[in-house]
Amino acid sequence: MNWLKQTIWSSIGKKLMMAVTGLAFCGFLAGHLAGNLTIYGGKSMFNSYAAHLHSLGPLITVVEWGLVFFAVVHIGTGLILFYLNFRSRPGRYAVNKWAGGRTIGSATMPYTGILVLAFVVMHLINFHFVDKGQTTIYQIVLKTFGNPLYVAIYVVAMIVVAVHVSHGFWSAFQTIGANHPKYMPLIMVLSIAFSLAVGFGFGLLPIFLWTVG
Amino acid sequence: MTKTISLTLKIWRQNGPGEKGRLETYPADDISTDMSFLEMLDVINEKLTLSGQNPIAFDHDCREGICGMCGAVVNGRAHGPEKGTTLCQLHMRHFKDGDTIVIEPWRARTFPVIKDLVVDRGAFDTIIQAGGFISVNTGGTPDANAIPVAHQAAEKAMDAAACIGCGACVAACPNASAMLFLGAKISHLGLLPQGRPEAARRALNMLQAMDHLGFGNCTNERECEAECPKEISIVNIARLNREFFKAAFFSDQT
Amino acid sequence: MALDAKIPAGPLAEKWDRHRFELKMVNPANKRKYEVIVIGTGLAGGSAAASLAELGYNVKAFCIQDSPRRAHSIAAQGGINAAKNYPNDGDSIWRLFYDTVKGGDFRSREANVYRLAQVSNHIIDQCVAQGIPFAREYGGLLANRSFGGAQVSRTFYARGQTGQQLLLGAYSALSRQVAAGKVKLFVRRELLDVVIINGQARGIVVRDLISGALERYDAHAVVLCTGGYGNVFFLSTNAMTSNATAIYRAYKKGAFLANPCFTQIHPTCIPVHGTYQSKLTLMSESLRNDGRVWVPKKAGDKRAPGQIPESERDYFLEEKYPSFGNLVPRDVASRNAKEQCDQGKGVGETGLAVYLDFADAIKRDGKDVIENKYGNLFQMYEKITDENPYEAPMRIYPAVHYTMGGLWVDYNLMSTVDGLFVLGEANFSDHGANRLGASALMQGLADGYFVLPYTIGGYLAGAELPKISTDHPAFELSQQNVQSRISQLLSINGNRTVDDIQRHLGLIMWEYCGMSRNNEGLAKARVKVQQLREEFWKNARVPGSGTDFNQSLENAGRVADFLEFAELMIIDALARQESCGGHFNEAFQTEGHEARRDDKNFCHVAAWEYAGDGQDPRLHKEPLVFENVELSQRSYK
Repeated sequence: MNWLKQTIWSSIGKKLMMAVTGLAFCGFLAGHLAGNLTIYGGKSMFNSYAAHLHSLGPLITVVEWGLVFFAVVHIGTGLILFYLNFRSRPGRYAVNKWAGGRTIGSATMPYTGILVLAFVVMHLINFHFVDKGQTTIYQIVLKTFGNPLYVAIYVVAMIVVAVHVSHGFWSAFQTIGANHPKYMPLIMVLSIAFSLAVGFGFGLLPIFLWTVG
Repeated sequence: MTKTISLTLKIWRQNGPGEKGRLETYPADDISTDMSFLEMLDVINEKLTLSGQNPIAFDHDCREGICGMCGAVVNGRAHGPEKGTTLCQLHMRHFKDGDTIVIEPWRARTFPVIKDLVVDRGAFDTIIQAGGFISVNTGGTPDANAIPVAHQAAEKAMDAAACIGCGACVAACPNASAMLFLGAKISHLGLLPQGRPEAARRALNMLQAMDHLGFGNCTNERECEAECPKEISIVNIARLNREFFKAAFFSDQT
Repeated sequence: MALDAKIPAGPLAEKWDRHRFELKMVNPANKRKYEVIVIGTGLAGGSAAASLAELGYNVKAFCIQDSPRRAHSIAAQGGINAAKNYPNDGDSIWRLFYDTVKGGDFRSREANVYRLAQVSNHIIDQCVAQGIPFAREYGGLLANRSFGGAQVSRTFYARGQTGQQLLLGAYSALSRQVAAGKVKLFVRRELLDVVIINGQARGIVVRDLISGALERYDAHAVVLCTGGYGNVFFLSTNAMTSNATAIYRAYKKGAFLANPCFTQIHPTCIPVHGTYQSKLTLMSESLRNDGRVWVPKKAGDKRAPGQIPESERDYFLEEKYPSFGNLVPRDVASRNAKEQCDQGKGVGETGLAVYLDFADAIKRDGKDVIENKYGNLFQMYEKITDENPYEAPMRIYPAVHYTMGGLWVDYNLMSTVDGLFVLGEANFSDHGANRLGASALMQGLADGYFVLPYTIGGYLAGAELPKISTDHPAFELSQQNVQSRISQLLSINGNRTVDDIQRHLGLIMWEYCGMSRNNEGLAKARVKVQQLREEFWKNARVPGSGTDFNQSLENAGRVADFLEFAELMIIDALARQESCGGHFNEAFQTEGHEARRDDKNFCHVAAWEYAGDGQDPRLHKEPLVFENVELSQRSYK
């Protein structure tokens, strides 16, 4: 299995891991967003969505551990790449200018990534590792977003996620080799659309709940 | 038609490999806008020589944008601000009177500075030596028309083969990655039927060579494509990725 | 010493086959016992080094740039000829041979040119196998276009970057051998002397351009593939490092220099525009397939080209040469452009330009087709001149482009020094007094891929080559000489830059030894060059030291050699009292202002032997015998 190790540890292999795990997270985000949108349907709809999710039992545990594994790979590889890329240019330029290829998203990937990680930790503390025995998830959510500070943090975090995804989405396709002049423009549009969907879809929720609460 | 401008140049001076360098300021007066950027440097060097100073070392050769010898980062842009242009093809008419121009060498771990603006790009040769060829000896080849090549394939191969190996992609990449250089060569040879027999070997070996040399990793920032004087597309990087996956996961090559 | 070109006996078409059979062979196991030094990694050097290594020889390859891929072959644009006859338009090896001999104004060797035409087809096969992305028809087969001096389409091309692609092919083959350990590559090295031991070329002294250190390398044979000397004119289409130092130092070591006055002025270059201009840029000859050359009929007509009606335009090439039209050979096109400008009909600010107009072609084929064929050239033109050639005609003027002269070589490509082989533009070549378009690439690759690999074996197998090392006194002496010359250059410490002197030399050469020459001017030029050389050694300023990266010093050495070489060119031009091809002596012209040869007295190669500093070189003549073509006045009417 030496070939596999060589493949994964090559520069493109590392990129492949970033792309595959990143795309998986995009899928997760899409599912998560679809679920969260039930909040607009009101308390019972959201609670029943949550109940339905929990009824999946072991499956959900597998998915959860899968996400943890993906996160470890994505973050670990990302940090290694960040270090290697930093090391590849010991002397810095006195003048730095973008030639038109970079975007805010692409230029900030490691930083938005770290912020997203911090956010995810907080998010899990808020809603995952919380005692749900006495209350429903809807109430927890409502209570959390009663606090304007949380609303602000979540909104900002969602903007950060959107920025991260705006580059990550199309970039993953490029990395797995799916770039053709015929359909790449579509992927680019989808990338923007998806990041907007994530940004607005998730970002408006805390505001909505704050106004409701 | 011909007019002249005056500029302030801040140029990287470094005596030798591993030595400390610094930006030094030189006035450049009465520069004709018809001059190329390198001719402007010639003028400065003439003046430096006559005033007893050491002229600025910079690489250049064909001065018509094809040899890939020249290159410097001009105001933060590899080969200067014009799209699809090498430094030797950049003309002073693109600058304004009174401009300050900062001129720095390509910067990358793999391209150590030799002197002033001159860097060592031997790493590119090493990458090519790892597999940037089709293994045919001289003689004994079939008639040139024996293997038809689709018009489009030849055109796309030519798009990639237009690479002049100048190193601007590495210089412009935020990570000093050579993926566009490698992608161009893998694409050029991989798109042609003649290059298919050893496509897998080529992809694996060349990538390994590139990784060992210490280039950075591609993060799809597209700066390479934007700065490439031959406007080589990152489609070629995607093709390299595909070729690599094909070779790694599906070929008999290890 | 009588020059023996070693042309094999027998009918023309069988000479090469027969010669290959008769050449002594080195058996495969013994090849690895031989070391060969190859200087230069352009088409000739790259292909030779790779091919020799493939055969089993140990090769040391040297290049002056930072990578073999940058040799100036890379700048060749239009294409490479071969007698494939794919378009079915009547081409043949014989026709390519004949066109080339005629194009060279009957000043080349029949046997060499025929061999060149013969191997031309193998070159295309080889290049395709290497993955050169030649232009293709929709059916997948190779496309061809026409070039000057031929009435068939035999030119293979890769857009306007054919030289680049062919060079990258040779470079890839070379790289493969470097990886295989058969070629040791030395970059950023400049040859400063050839070391000769017992009359045989056995090594070289080079300068490491990064550290400034002088290095010695020994071998069983030395191959020079160092290109042409066009930069003696300062402004040329050559690269900045293109120089005559290697061939000139070899000349001083006993190799004869042949026909140095045969220089090619390419008709379609972007005109000179300012005093600080450092080089001229070629616009491929292929443009003359679709572009029409014209000037206003009236001298001094300063109207914009668009405002000059058809009836007031002089399409001088089409009118004068109806059958070849705009595709006459380069020397003819250049001279006619100059003639028009001399009559005051030149266009542009300086009046030293003629139009190359694509309006008709764009109207006929559409802009897309033209863009597809010449897009990169048009773009290049626009970058330099800031004018859009799709809308206004290009302005072009002749410029120095190629040098047909070079070190004399026999049929085996060996110079007058045993074991010193010379390939490509560096030898006096197969092009006679004028090279046809798309033939330089052909010759460079023919020499490197298909001629030298055979002939060097013949030499090595037959020569007695005693064991030597770089400690040999000849190396020591050579290095001392090189070192003292470097010290001398650094100690002049005058008031004029080397560039300035080279520019001055260029002006002298262009004025008196350029497109047209006369005895009076040449004599004057000789004195001027001598004076300039004297000034150089008294008043040049070469800054820096010899022990580090010093581009000023590098160039100073080259210019010093050019200053001597220039005089040899002038001597050769003066000795050749006729006009032929690129050598046009005003005293010898036909009524139609074409070159008038003197076959009775000058049907020979003029090979010059170095006779010591300050001495006139000795002339040796190799008579040219034409058994298969009839010497005639070239006609492209």
